[in-house]
Amino acid sequence: MALTEISLIRRIFVLMLAGVLSLLAIVGLTLWLTARVSDHSDEVVRARNTRLLSATLLSLLQDMETGQRGYLLTHDPRYLEPYEHAKPQVDETLGRLEEMIESDPSGPAEARELRETVSAKIAELSETLARANAGDDAGALAIINSDRGRNLMDTIRGQINEIGQRADGRVRDRLDAMQQSTHSLMLVSIFASLLILMVAATAIWTTTRYTRELVQARREVETANASLEARVQERTADLTRANEEIQRFAYIVSHDLRAPLVNIVGFTSEMEAGLGTLQRAFAAKDNEAPDTAALEEAREVTTTDLPEAIGFIRASTTKMDRLINAILKLSREGRRELRSERVDLGPLLATAAASVQHQLDEHGARIELGERFPVIQSDRLALEQVFGNLVDNAVKYLAPGRPGHIRITAEESLSGVVVEVADNGRGIAANDFERIFELFRRAGTQDVAGEGIGLAHVRALVRRLGGDITVDSELGKGSRFRVRLPRYSRHV
Amino acid sequence: MANPHSAEPVVIVMIEDDEGHARLIERNIRRAGVNNQIVPFANGTAALEYLFGEDGTGAVSAQRALLILLDLNLPDMTGIDILAKVKANTHLKRTPVIILTTTDDQREIQRCYDLGANVYITKPVNYEGFSNAIRQLGLFLSVMQVPVAD
Repeated sequence: MALTEISLIRRIFVLMLAGVLSLLAIVGLTLWLTARVSDHSDEVVRARNTRLLSATLLSLLQDMETGQRGYLLTHDPRYLEPYEHAKPQVDETLGRLEEMIESDPSGPAEARELRETVSAKIAELSETLARANAGDDAGALAIINSDRGRNLMDTIRGQINEIGQRADGRVRDRLDAMQQSTHSLMLVSIFASLLILMVAATAIWTTTRYTRELVQARREVETANASLEARVQERTADLTRANEEIQRFAYIVSHDLRAPLVNIVGFTSEMEAGLGTLQRAFAAKDNEAPDTAALEEAREVTTTDLPEAIGFIRASTTKMDRLINAILKLSREGRRELRSERVDLGPLLATAAASVQHQLDEHGARIELGERFPVIQSDRLALEQVFGNLVDNAVKYLAPGRPGHIRITAEESLSGVVVEVADNGRGIAANDFERIFELFRRAGTQDVAGEGIGLAHVRALVRRLGGDITVDSELGKGSRFRVRLPRYSRHV
Repeated sequence: MANPHSAEPVVIVMIEDDEGHARLIERNIRRAGVNNQIVPFANGTAALEYLFGEDGTGAVSAQRALLILLDLNLPDMTGIDILAKVKANTHLKRTPVIILTTTDDQREIQRCYDLGANVYITKPVNYEGFSNAIRQLGLFLSVMQVPVAD
């Protein structure tokens, strides 16, 4: 399939669009994944902070409890230091922890519960310390012994533990999701890269093919150009040749038709002159003696001059008629439409040879045909006439005194076929090679009847078939007529 | 028509394929009072044989006093071939050649003079013109000098 320019542009555009879309997909996905990753790491940080804050809160509460226990035992204010130190921090830490978890679905409720238990714990601690300060050590101990503080502390531990575990779970989930996202990104990248590679490969292939087609097309155009020039030259040569032939034809016809005309006019005038002589001879009046000299002259005119003049006039008119008929025949032949058909030259030439067999036998001559003859596309009738004429000529102009031998062979060439009709006849002088193909012209000794039409007709026919005919001959040795014919005849 | 060096009269060699033309030419030459022998040839081959002899050297024409009347359109060769041969031959090159033909093609006329033709006459279809031309040629022949070939 040949690529047109528009389809190429469309294809390249589609390919580039596919490539750009793949790239955009990769970039978009990467951006999204990056956002996801930073989101995840925020989440991980939040979970870690939650853990940290939970631990801090627990440790603060334990510090407070430790301070409380020490003070209750010793009443030494030094033991109260951890308590006093941790107390303000608890609220702050609890607030920060609440911030961390409030975005969780169960966060606010847990935070509220935690704050309640932590408040209860701090209230329990404050109450025991207040009683101890007031000197009511027994009351303080009773509160401790009621396990209220321990239970609260256990609840707090449980709550903090739960918050920490949920944070851990969240981190795990996030890590899993991140791993999956990374995996997806890798898959998408590989797929998109493959797609881009394919697009690039297709684009390169298409462009290369198109370029190759362009080069090929250019080469074809160049070849066509060159052959066009050759064709133009060939046609020009054909036209020049045809033009020269027409001029030559006109020249020959005008000369050959004028020659008998000169005779007719000339001998008519001679007859007129003869008539004058007769009139003078019979001009004598009845009573006058006839002029004997004039009578003698009149006798001469009637017996010799007039019959001779009439003979020449008649011969000239016959000749003119013959010439005109010949010209008409050629013209008719030239107008006949040629029909291209499959012609096996073998049987055709055998027929041409057989038609002269009788004459050959009379002269003791023989005709020989080559072994192989090609099949061509041409006009059968024209070929029959061409080879019939050539064989007739070969028989007609055999050299007297040696057994005639005519040989017909064919050879195939790249451009067509060449059929050769060779004889050992009288031959043709080199300066008559062109003349024998001219209308009404003949060469050599004029001892055989002929009009000088045959070869002119043959050449006209062969040229109409797209071929040509040449002769090669040596006087006294024989002649070789070579008919070059195209394998497929072009009919003009 | 005379030959200054020898008693032998000039022979007119007429190479003309058309018998009628040959007859008309002969008649008109006679009418002009030229009584030299006329040797007619209807084709080039026979004429060449007469002019150049069987050996083709032209030696046969040595010592002959000839004048050639030549038609250009012969059945077997062109008159131009004969003209060229005559003018190229040692023995025949001084022989006057008068071209008498139906064609009035300028290139043909120039070519004949280039080859050494002495006179070129076109046969007019008009008989008055034709016989006049021949008769004038006859008058011309009666006074012209012809060299003996050597």
